[in-house]
Amino acid sequence: MTDTSIDSKEDQVFLNGSSYLTEFKPVFFDWTAAIIIAKKNLRLAIRYPANVLIWGILPVVWFAPFILMATAIAGPETSVYFTELSGFDNYITFSIIGWFVIMFLDNSIWGIGNNFRWEQFSGTLEPLFMAPVPRVSLLLGAAFSDSIQAVFQTSMLLGISTVIFGSRYVLTQILPIAIIMLVMIIALYGFGFMVAGLIIVFKDPSVLTELVSEVTWMISPVQYPLAALPSPVRFAAYLIPTTLAIVTIRELAITGIMNVVSFLTALCGLGLIAILFWTIGLGSFRYAVRWSRERGHMGGF
Amino acid sequence: MTEIKRSAIFERMWKREGFRAELRAANALAIKQWKVEFSYPLSVLWFIVMPILWFIPLLITGTAVSGGEESTYLEGLVGTGDWLSYVAIGSAYAGLSISMMWGTGFALRREQNVGTLETLMTTPMGKGTLVWGSTLHNLQHGGLGVILQLCGSVLIFGVQLNIWGILPALGVVALSIIAMQGLVFTIVCVILLAKQAWMVVELLSSVLFLVAPMSYPIAVLPPALQYISVASPLTWSVEGFRGFLMEGIGSSLVLNAVGALIVLDVVFLVLGVLMFRYTERYVRMKGALSQF
Repeated sequence: MTDTSIDSKEDQVFLNGSSYLTEFKPVFFDWTAAIIIAKKNLRLAIRYPANVLIWGILPVVWFAPFILMATAIAGPETSVYFTELSGFDNYITFSIIGWFVIMFLDNSIWGIGNNFRWEQFSGTLEPLFMAPVPRVSLLLGAAFSDSIQAVFQTSMLLGISTVIFGSRYVLTQILPIAIIMLVMIIALYGFGFMVAGLIIVFKDPSVLTELVSEVTWMISPVQYPLAALPSPVRFAAYLIPTTLAIVTIRELAITGIMNVVSFLTALCGLGLIAILFWTIGLGSFRYAVRWSRERGHMGGF
Repeated sequence: MTEIKRSAIFERMWKREGFRAELRAANALAIKQWKVEFSYPLSVLWFIVMPILWFIPLLITGTAVSGGEESTYLEGLVGTGDWLSYVAIGSAYAGLSISMMWGTGFALRREQNVGTLETLMTTPMGKGTLVWGSTLHNLQHGGLGVILQLCGSVLIFGVQLNIWGILPALGVVALSIIAMQGLVFTIVCVILLAKQAWMVVELLSSVLFLVAPMSYPIAVLPPALQYISVASPLTWSVEGFRGFLMEGIGSSLVLNAVGALIVLDVVFLVLGVLMFRYTERYVRMKGALSQF
């Protein structure tokens, strides 16, 4: 009796699977696949809780040298020159917001961009690509899980920094900050897709990822205001989704003043950047997958 | 090749011993790593631009807070107001340290990942030579990075170097490698035991870099961190290296740094080598060499 029931269950699973395959029609996006991938990645992340913890602590150790250097050069008080240049009178409060936002960019480069590379290292890339679901769903699933992890890590970073450096932020502007963050994260997904495409073609993730990560970090107003950058670099900085977000969030979280016009301008700007990056990101990702498959390059290291 | 000739080669290989033989093996390992790196074209590009890319954010931050090339506050702390040269030389040295710590520390793990660790361990060379070979490569790699960054800083940003201090600064590098090797052996032990030890290494190196006076003097650190800083060979390496390149050979502070470095060399190297010997033997006994 038991054997028969197992057989029937297995048959049922097989029939369900084969009916899915026979009735399968290509779709642009598969939410179920994305959510399954997100859950799988989160389950993996929970298996290594120290990783999540360490990524909350490490950024503090990374930005502390900049704060110490600023102290050594300008003294313990924020310099008048910096205040004139940035409009803010506390260097530490200023840079913590920069690091808080840039962590999402870092996550999109290392997490979303490298997602298929990690799958390749685990030996699961080719089976994943054989699944009858759009590749973008797999990538977006990874992006969801990365965003959840990034929110957790940045909250930790903000909490630790607030305790160590005694920085205070205005909590009343949390809603507009959340809106800006949401649009920025959507834009970053497009950026992550673009990096994923590059990594599928070039493979070696450490160098390419480091290069993209360092350059975007360097031209982002994390440790310094945009005004400190030369004009052409400033223009390039605005093309990175995090730049507008950092500038706007700083204004909201530090001063607590909401200028509706500049907020809406930033929101529209981020929306446009999101459309731009999704178009470029999806296009380059699809091209990279096709290019790699045609050359039998997908599983190669 | 006849069987007799082949066995003669094997026999010679097994009989090889002494410093020169180990040096040849270390050199072969260093060349092998260069070949691996140069087989990725992006690695070459990264190697050239990386030293400058690391320095630029420091330069922009310094300019944003100081508004010029001189800092009176820094002058009060270390005797020089030329913050640009101070930071450029200190951060150039950071590149060498990172290359040594990460590159050498993870050398055995890399071999393990590509499946060659056990093969290398069965070759007739000292087990420590595996680590020393990687040190040699990373010294060349990181050293070239230091040269690139310093040349870029002098030519592009107008950093001032005292040319009479170049040779003594190289002496400091030599001394610092000995103590750094002790640290590297410790990292290798952590990796051999914990396998996926990047977190430990990242935390350890981040803390060491935080307390090292790369771009600020240790006087700006909280008192507890200042104690850790004094016990770290990185601190004295950077102080000595920068001191010679900025002030030449006449500074008494630089001589203090060299003295401290010699003491720390002995302590760190002895501890590191002992730990490596014990750990390597332990891991082999447990049969855990190829475990992931």
